Amino acid sequence: MRMIVVFEKGLPVRHIGHLDLMRTMQRALRRTDLPIRYSNGFNPHIQLSFAAPLSVGVVGLREVMDVPMSAEVTGAYFQQAMNRVLPSCLQVVSARSVSDTFPTLMALVAGSRIRIQLSICAEATRIAEVFPAFMEAAECVTLRKTKSGENMTNIRPFIAEGSLEVTGTEAIIRCVIQNRQDGSLKPAVLMQALCELAGITSVDYIAYREQIMTRNPQGALIGVEEYPDA
Amino acid sequence: MTEQIERLLMRVEKPARYTGSEMNTDVKPISQAEISFAFCFPDTYEVAMSHLGLKILYSIINNLPYAVCERVCMPWVDMLEGMKAENVPLFSLESRTPLHQFDIIGFTLQYEMSFTNILEMLWLGGVPVKAAERGEQDPIVVAGGPCASNPEPLHAFIDAFMIGDGEDVIVEVVSLLNECKKTGVPRAERLRLLAGIQGVYVPSLYTAAYHEDGTLRQFLPIDPAAPATVQKRYVYDMNTTAFPESIPVPYTQIVHDRIMLEIMRGCTRGCRFCQAGMLYRPVRERSVDTLLAQAENLVGSTGYEEISLSSLSSGDYSCLPALCQRLMERFAEKRVSISLPSLRIDSVLKDSLAQTQRVKKSSLTFAPEAGTQRMRDVINKGVTQEDLLSKLKDAFEGGWSSVKLYFMLGLPTETDADLAGIASLGEAAVKAYYAVPKGQRAKGLRVTCSASVFVPKPFTPFQWCAQDSQEEVIRKQRFVRQQFTAIRGASFNWHDPSVSLMEACFATGDRRLSDVLYRAWQLGCKLDGWSEHFKLDVWLQAFADCGLSPDFYAHRTRQEDELLPWDFIDIGVTKRFLWCEYQRALNAQTTRDCRLGCNGCGIERMKGLCSYADDRSV
Repeated sequence: MRMIVVFEKGLPVRHIGHLDLMRTMQRALRRTDLPIRYSNGFNPHIQLSFAAPLSVGVVGLREVMDVPMSAEVTGAYFQQAMNRVLPSCLQVVSARSVSDTFPTLMALVAGSRIRIQLSICAEATRIAEVFPAFMEAAECVTLRKTKSGENMTNIRPFIAEGSLEVTGTEAIIRCVIQNRQDGSLKPAVLMQALCELAGITSVDYIAYREQIMTRNPQGALIGVEEYPDA
Repeated sequence: MTEQIERLLMRVEKPARYTGSEMNTDVKPISQAEISFAFCFPDTYEVAMSHLGLKILYSIINNLPYAVCERVCMPWVDMLEGMKAENVPLFSLESRTPLHQFDIIGFTLQYEMSFTNILEMLWLGGVPVKAAERGEQDPIVVAGGPCASNPEPLHAFIDAFMIGDGEDVIVEVVSLLNECKKTGVPRAERLRLLAGIQGVYVPSLYTAAYHEDGTLRQFLPIDPAAPATVQKRYVYDMNTTAFPESIPVPYTQIVHDRIMLEIMRGCTRGCRFCQAGMLYRPVRERSVDTLLAQAENLVGSTGYEEISLSSLSSGDYSCLPALCQRLMERFAEKRVSISLPSLRIDSVLKDSLAQTQRVKKSSLTFAPEAGTQRMRDVINKGVTQEDLLSKLKDAFEGGWSSVKLYFMLGLPTETDADLAGIASLGEAAVKAYYAVPKGQRAKGLRVTCSASVFVPKPFTPFQWCAQDSQEEVIRKQRFVRQQFTAIRGASFNWHDPSVSLMEACFATGDRRLSDVLYRAWQLGCKLDGWSEHFKLDVWLQAFADCGLSPDFYAHRTRQEDELLPWDFIDIGVTKRFLWCEYQRALNAQTTRDCRLGCNGCGIERMKGLCSYADDRSV
């Protein structure tokens, strides 16, 4: 069996990179007595995979990882065991056991729901002003780094839904980012494009990935952790 | 301040260095502690978190019900500049408390080239850099660690030094300062009370006078509270002294990212250049049962995948095979590997090698230190060419193909023949590899020979020695390099001699070097341990501005009757013993390993401390 684990990567640990997070989770698993699986070979390591890497600097509210188990345990037991050995900024939100035939998380991911919070200041107000125009435009070209290099990319098609909320103290942008053939869109690239539209060099913000999305067999967007086990 | 810090973090390299929140750092809230201690490591987070001493003392202080200890590290340049521009004071990793708000600030002194960082950290933390300028509201700044054995170059910046093993003295210092805080004892009186604790040196209570030639004439206490001789502190029993049950587990990769089990303290070898070998006498082992229990705690609380056995000479640990065996059995299920970091070529390690190999096969390190037998006899490195070659043979037959050989260059009495010996050993290592039949040896031979520059250190038999001039070191490096060009399969690395020059000055310096240090810091020196930041010309200017010469400190042979700046410290080994050892060195006479019989180094004066002491030799 495998454990599909939803966890929060909180504000204090948002600067931890993907590989460091992986090692952190492996060490946390070793602190428990959970029946985990090890790889074979010369340097055996704990088997574990993430649904989608999270950009450094982004807070993850419902990150998802897949932990293969060597014996049956319940999700509740797993969650309890992990939360005893994890710091408060990196807690398991829920865990669900699935069969070994459950698809790999990476293959399921269709997109993500993100939130970007800006404290009100001159720059944030400019961003709020240009956001509706960005949503209405069919095209927004900006420089985007991918594995194959830096390219001018039209990032607009990555944004499936978008909304803006302005309160007295904050501007909050909410988006659904859909993955495309050439990958995903980082919140930082979206913000860079918005800055360019707003005619400013930079703006302070905190980005949250609220949920990693998949499509269920009926085609509806759901959290990747909710995908039905055959 | 939090918002400013968060903004800075978005802009700097490796922001996780500054964010804390690691596993096992959830210490009590600083507001609830009676007294707060900032453990300051004068280097970056990655270096700091690799240091076992930090973890030991962090755990000891946090285990005191009335105290809290938080960590503070030296920020990297990008962060430093950002903090200065935004007026963000240096803050602790745990609660982001500004340094100046702590009651006690403690620096660990591991390396002379980190001294400027101490000044930078105090300044950035809003604490007056000079001890004399601190007032009633300012923290007490203490320091300990190996470089505290000659505290004089830092005397102007540190209120009190702790000399020797820190486990007990740190508790006495924190407890005393806590009582003082409760009753509002004035700063001057607190320092006098600190001077009453064994192992504590309060530099403001002493005065130094110099001869016309610049050597020390007199060094005396000027206050009845200060002892004329400061006695180093010792841990008597390594099985009962505190060792952490849990240690912080960094998120990012640090230099030594593993559990370090200190299997023993001290070394019986008596290598004459080695300061640690003299400072940490006598050898004190932990039992296999103690170590197993400590490993059990740490694996459980950290989840680390690797344990290294740490000591000055792990191969000499009396129960090494049994320890390795039991650790491996115990942790096989959790796939925890065991590694031996400081292998010595003359240790009986064949069994252990066979076992470590089962887990991991990285490169093996040997430290012959010198190229010829004569030179090794001078430095009392009791290793022969045959020993070395047989260990290399074992290693190559055991499947290793990458070995590192460490040497020193510029040792007392060294000749070009000794230098040529370094290359000969490198060549012999290559031959030893090819002597193993093809098929039976691992592919990819790499023999890496590295030569550091000899630095005379206080409390060693070579404390009287001069370091080679820069020109001579460069000539010698060139000479050895030349010899290596003809050897295929072996490479030669060398160190920047100008860094070694400053190490020699600050290792053996007197009080006047505080002025040089201050001036160099004013001129912009910091992070000098990082080669890209070390600026010799600025250091030389700082010396010149203070009317002092590095030659006086580094390139001068001292006389037997010279009063040395660190003579007021009783470090355990006596000056008489060190001088005898120096004379024997000059005659290339070796001195036996303590385990073969007591050599009367001075430790025998402490009853019941050394298991090999012969009390009659006092």
